[in-house]
Formats: sequence, structure tokens, C-alpha cells
Amino acid sequence: MREKLRRVPTGGQATEGAEPDADQLLQAVARGDEAAFERLYDQVIGPVFGLIRRVVRDPAQSEEVAQEVMVELWRTATRYSPERGSAMTWVMTLAHRRAVDRVRSAQSAADRETRVSISEASRPFDEVAELVTMKLEHEQVRRCLGTLTDLQRESITLAYYGGRTYREVGELLDTPLGTIKTRLRDGLIRLRDCLGVTR
Amino acid sequence: MTTPDVHALTGAYVLDAVPELERAAFERHLSQCDACTQEVSELRETATRLGRVAAAEPPPWLRGQVLTRISQTRQLPPEQSLLSGGQRRTPGWALRLTTAAAAVLLVASVALGVALVNTQNNLDDTQQSAAALASLLQAGDAEVQSAEVNGGTATVISSDVENKALLLSSGLADPGAGKVYQAWKLGDGDPKSAGVMEGNRLTIDNLGEATTEIGITIEPAGGSTSPTLPVLAQIQVV
Repeated sequence: MREKLRRVPTGGQATEGAEPDADQLLQAVARGDEAAFERLYDQVIGPVFGLIRRVVRDPAQSEEVAQEVMVELWRTATRYSPERGSAMTWVMTLAHRRAVDRVRSAQSAADRETRVSISEASRPFDEVAELVTMKLEHEQVRRCLGTLTDLQRESITLAYYGGRTYREVGELLDTPLGTIKTRLRDGLIRLRDCLGVTR
Repeated sequence: MTTPDVHALTGAYVLDAVPELERAAFERHLSQCDACTQEVSELRETATRLGRVAAAEPPPWLRGQVLTRISQTRQLPPEQSLLSGGQRRTPGWALRLTTAAAAVLLVASVALGVALVNTQNNLDDTQQSAAALASLLQAGDAEVQSAEVNGGTATVISSDVENKALLLSSGLADPGAGKVYQAWKLGDGDPKSAGVMEGNRLTIDNLGEATTEIGITIEPAGGSTSPTLPVLAQIQVV
């Protein structure tokens, strides 16, 4: 039974012996295929861990969150449907959400009532500097980030890599909330068009 | 709920930059807006590209731990997608007056009965409450939603036509010394106070078209100007 299921993801491949893609693997995982999960793990763990590490920063906590995300991926694979998006996006959405949950719960315990402190106001510049020097694996992403306005890029970076809410981004960049919302959206739209992302 | 302001949240939403309170309201809007759903899905793929460039090598032992854990973890039964709504907090049940009038009236009168017992010494007030309930239930678009809160039940009867809602509670645990239950109008933008619960009911006038949910929190006596997390319940309104 398991052998039969395991063959399913490779069945449609045009190329002989090609590795099944994440979408196919995740669908096999949904049927309880642990071998498919191992292959999926190897495909996604780099981006998953890297993103979590970037948001959470603390290595030990990042490892914990990455583990939780991968186990949750196994547990919830049955709810994945390819029409809604790629498996990679499914996994990365889960990873980002859990990373953000982690930083916000740590933060809210400490400073629920405190607004973003003054010392943190210098952070956007660090983040942006880091983004610029970040070793980007994909030239295209770097090039496309370069087409954004400074405000679009800083807002997106603070929100996505920094795990900030748009309200915090507004305070950090000293910009009205309506403007931040709009910049996050039109910045992503510009990135989408530059990267040629379609669904 | 189709103001441009709501649509503008798609970017913040896919970046997980929308605070918890607003997120539920936006997700509800998403479920009714095909254009937004399409946009969210495309922007999510875009955000994924940003995530992938951050790739880093995890410690090798992680793999073994994860594989051990999944071999001991049961998978969820197949159902609707988690990404687009499974994570939304849904009330225990929902009934539309037009289709289940009798059930609604029964629930409402039980809730009001509790309110009556608790306010015997203030008959006028209770009669007012009953009148408000009756006029709400007569509104063609009245909707009743209920959720479990702190060991009890909170029921919201709302009407867009009347621009009004009634919050009834029964069996809620004592909020603690010097604390009260406070209700909030949730929707796009900052949560607005809908008033402090005195006794077991609260009339919410001027519900507002932008309000998609009523939230309940515990606040210091007298209430707060902005909600203290956690939100104990979010109950949908018409």
C-alpha cells in the first residue's frame, strides 16, 4: 500500500528519475507517506530555518520553532490543496507565522504596554544595511528589491524579516499608518510584477 | 466592508504584520472578496521569494528529531484549507433568524431569562432590555451568534438595519477584583469600546457598518480605551 502511494508523486514526472517537486511530495505526505516527508524536509528546511532564524534571531529558539513548524507541516498536510498556492508558499507561510508568533509572545510578555522604545528607533537602518549586504541567493530578488522606493523596501523588510506589525513599522519609520499599509501593498505588488509571480 | 482601506491590508496581511485583533476581521472580509483572495495568494507567493533568499543551514540533528516526532504524531483528518480560514476562530454555532426563528428565540429568551433573574430589582431596565431585544429580533437581518467565554456563553444579536447589537452573557466567571468585562467593536482600524458589561447584558448602539465582530476582554474597572490582550472571544455580527 505504501509503495503504491509513494510512486504517485513521481508518476507524472516527464524526466526520468527527477526529484518530485514540493507540491507532489506534500500531497504524498498528506497520505501519511513518511518517506515523502523526508524528501520534502530536505527540500524546504534550508529556507524554513533561514527565515525563522532571521525573524527570531536567537539560535536555540529558532531551532525550536523550526522543529514545531516541520511537525505541524506533517500534521496539517491533509489540509493542503494545490489550487490555493504552491507547497513552498504553504510551508513558508507557516514558518513565518510561527516565527512571528514567537517574537510577539516574547515581546508582549515584556512590553505589552510599552510602545516601541527609543533605542529601537535606530533599528530600521541596521535592518536595511543588513538587507543590502545580505548574501542574496537569487540575483533576481535583489534586483527587484532595488526597484522599490526606500520606504517600500524598509517597510517590507521591517515587517517581513523583522516580524513587526504595520503599526510598529509606522512608528519606527515615523510614517502615518495609512501610508505604511499602502507601501507594504504596492511594494509587494511591484515585487510581484518584477519577479513575474503568477498563480 | 468593501472600502479601499480594507483592501490595502492585503500587503500587511501576507507579511503577518496585521495585529491579531484586526486579522480575524480581515480574514472574514477575505472570505467574501474574491479579488482580495486572488491578490493575497499572489502576494503570498511573492513574500515566499523573500523568505527563500534567507535560507540557512540548520543543525544536522534537527532532521532526526523531527522525523522521530512525526512518527509519533497523528495527522489531521482532511478538511477545508487551514491557510484560508481553518485558523479563524469560529463561534460554536450560528443561526439565521429567517431559517431558524424558533431556535433563535429560545436561545435569546434563555439568555434574557438569566439577565432577568439578575436584575429583578431593576425592572424598568429589564423591560427596556426586553424591548430592545424584541425590536432587534424583528429586524429582517437579525443574526444571532454565540461563543464560549471564560466558562460561560456570550451571545450577540445584531442587526445592520437597526445599527444595533445586544450582548448577553450567562455563566461567565468573575473577572476578578477590580476587573470588568469590556466589549469592543472590531473591524478595520483600531478597536473601539462598545462599553463595559454591567450585569449580564450590554446594548451596543451605533454598531457601525465597519464593525465585523464584537470582541470581549477583561479590563480594569471602568474600562480601557484600548483592549488588553488576550481577546477572550470574537463574535461575528451581521
